[in-house]
Amino acid sequence: MTADFSLPDEVVELRSALERFARDRLAPRAREAEADGSWPEAVLLALDRFELSSLDLPGAFGGVGIGCLGKVVVLETLAVADAGGLPAADQPGPTAGALSACPEGDRAAVVAEAALARRAASTLVVTATDEPEAPAVVEWAPSWPPLGWVWESRGDRLRLFGPGPGVDPGSPALAFGASGTATAALSHWPVAGTWTLPAGGGLAVRGRARLWAAAVTLGIAQAAFDATVAYATERVVFGRPVAHHQGNAFELAASAAGLHGARLLVYDAARRFDAWDAGTTEHPVDAGFWATEAFLETTETAGRVTDLGIQLLGGHGFLVDHLAEKRFREARMLGLFFGGRARAEDDLACALVEVGAW
Amino acid sequence: MVTPYDRRTAEIVEEVRHLGRTYMRPMGLESDATGLPPPADHPLYLICARQGGLVGREVGEDEGDEGLDWRPFRSLLINEESAYWDRGVALSLPGPGLGGAALRTTATAEQRARFLSVFTDHDRAHWGAMAMTEPGAGSDVARIQTRARHDGGEWVLNGSKMFCSNGARADWVVVWATLDPALGRDGHRAFLVERDTPGFELLRIEHKMGSRGYETASFALDEVRVPEENLLGGEAFYRSREGFRGAMATFNLTRPIHAAQGVGMGRAAHDFALEFVHTDYPSEGRRRTRALEQLATIRRQLQTARLMCLHAVWLASRGLPNTLEASYAKLYAPPAVLRSVSVALDILGEAGVRNDKMVEKLFRDVKILDIGEGTQQVQRVVVARQLFGFPRDP
Repeated sequence: MTADFSLPDEVVELRSALERFARDRLAPRAREAEADGSWPEAVLLALDRFELSSLDLPGAFGGVGIGCLGKVVVLETLAVADAGGLPAADQPGPTAGALSACPEGDRAAVVAEAALARRAASTLVVTATDEPEAPAVVEWAPSWPPLGWVWESRGDRLRLFGPGPGVDPGSPALAFGASGTATAALSHWPVAGTWTLPAGGGLAVRGRARLWAAAVTLGIAQAAFDATVAYATERVVFGRPVAHHQGNAFELAASAAGLHGARLLVYDAARRFDAWDAGTTEHPVDAGFWATEAFLETTETAGRVTDLGIQLLGGHGFLVDHLAEKRFREARMLGLFFGGRARAEDDLACALVEVGAW
Repeated sequence: MVTPYDRRTAEIVEEVRHLGRTYMRPMGLESDATGLPPPADHPLYLICARQGGLVGREVGEDEGDEGLDWRPFRSLLINEESAYWDRGVALSLPGPGLGGAALRTTATAEQRARFLSVFTDHDRAHWGAMAMTEPGAGSDVARIQTRARHDGGEWVLNGSKMFCSNGARADWVVVWATLDPALGRDGHRAFLVERDTPGFELLRIEHKMGSRGYETASFALDEVRVPEENLLGGEAFYRSREGFRGAMATFNLTRPIHAAQGVGMGRAAHDFALEFVHTDYPSEGRRRTRALEQLATIRRQLQTARLMCLHAVWLASRGLPNTLEASYAKLYAPPAVLRSVSVALDILGEAGVRNDKMVEKLFRDVKILDIGEGTQQVQRVVVARQLFGFPRDP
């Protein structure tokens, strides 16, 4: 076997179709959706036709089975246009890994109906094993569809809370405004199931969710980069385009390289999940480890790229007239998802000696 | 997972690992202490040159009809693995070296067969080399001043070259020269100059901060006469304005491989630091966790760099343009590796100062990667030109 970085034909075709959809239908309404607190029904119906939510689910759950690689490409493509509604629109989305991880009979009984029918949102809460056990709290979740299921990942233990008896509207959050905001204290939610996963299974669940965030972050950062280049090659300062001042050109070039590297890492982690799902690799830690690494690399890179996206626009970048500020805050917030960067680093420290050879 | 190993490549990488452990690391440490590269008759070089050895395998000698075709993935992985053990000694291994890359992008099939055939001699080691850099033209290779003039059916070269790896022991050196500096890139030509050609004079072997396991030669060219048939590609090749592009295409092939050497060195630093954590850190607690987090960061940066190198070579292997991706790899990898080695030093703490811990040596060895074959600043210029028309002459 040789290295192959190509994408399957079906993924390339899907990406092409979604690029048109995202450009024509999603991007023009990004601000409006943010103000409305949701994506329009027509957009959601179109995404259903693209089978967004079931792309990476196994066939047993009605999934298309295109795989994790296809899913991250799709998420990235949509996020280039507007990431704001993705946490709500893509259900079970980041929790697909949790759904796949719990034992066959249990998951069919407790989750499939509600989660896959998209009548209820689900999310993943990551708690640390070196902290005292305490009722999990959802600090932020999408509010449409109503939050109904919460997975808690703690080491290799997986717990499912739900169906939820109701959630509180969270404090208004600017980032991901199109997904709404909900918070919930889970102390009065029923526990639908608790499972002890095989060693490394917990990291795989968390890694799959982090890879979701990484793919969305990647799309946001790419959009920021493209918009920055477009502006900086047109706007003239001190007699030449902003981008043609060497200090700025060098920053843009480094951003492009960083994005390229982050994308390769995200796709590589997705391929590892696909290989794991296909049974061609049995290493339990590998995919979760590299997905977590991809999350850290992508959120770090996106932070730099979206910051530059404001910086090179100067004062304009701080105004809501441009999408630069939206991308800046969304990219940063994604780094807080699923336990954030600190828990991700904890996981890597624990798994480092177990991960496969170079 | 991207798995770049075919069976034969895996065998060869395993052989490199054995040679690295047995020969290359001890040789590298000795060269670091003495400041001298290993002698050209060192047993390792003969092992590499023998029938079925690394040299023949790298040029594909043992693979039937595919003959001397280059295998970029294999070359990349050999470079990464050998640099893990000692990058300096790895560069000193016999073979066509950078000159081979120039032959692949510039020479005719007849010339490639003629000049690469020397590596089918298994009785002694042979080297090739490339001379591009001059005292006044480093990153900006378009400014080379070494002159070539046509005279009586021969080419005559005059000028000086430096930073020519393995140049003093090479059977031949690909020398880049210009017909006239005023012609800019259109005036560039590549010539194969054979050892002992009159006027081709070794000036010195440079003394370096690190990577001391290979010789870095400086030359003077004084009325060096080169046969017509040693103009790589023939004159028609350059009339089609492919000359400079040929040089640049060479770098598109070698930059990712150069960067991959850094990945190998970073891996070595990571492994030394991880071993140190196991042996010298408390078995649990904040210090240990912090060190493991740092090692995970190193691993992430190195894996990102590795994927970038592999991707750039993957494009080249499919005949696709890779200028941008080769520069991405070369832009990202060396600084990432330097940061990684530096973090590994932090993990070692004061013990890192001792060069018997190897990481101190790696810190000195690795810096050249951010300079050779185009600094990261040059790569940023290349990327900026490709992506948003950064002007050539501001």
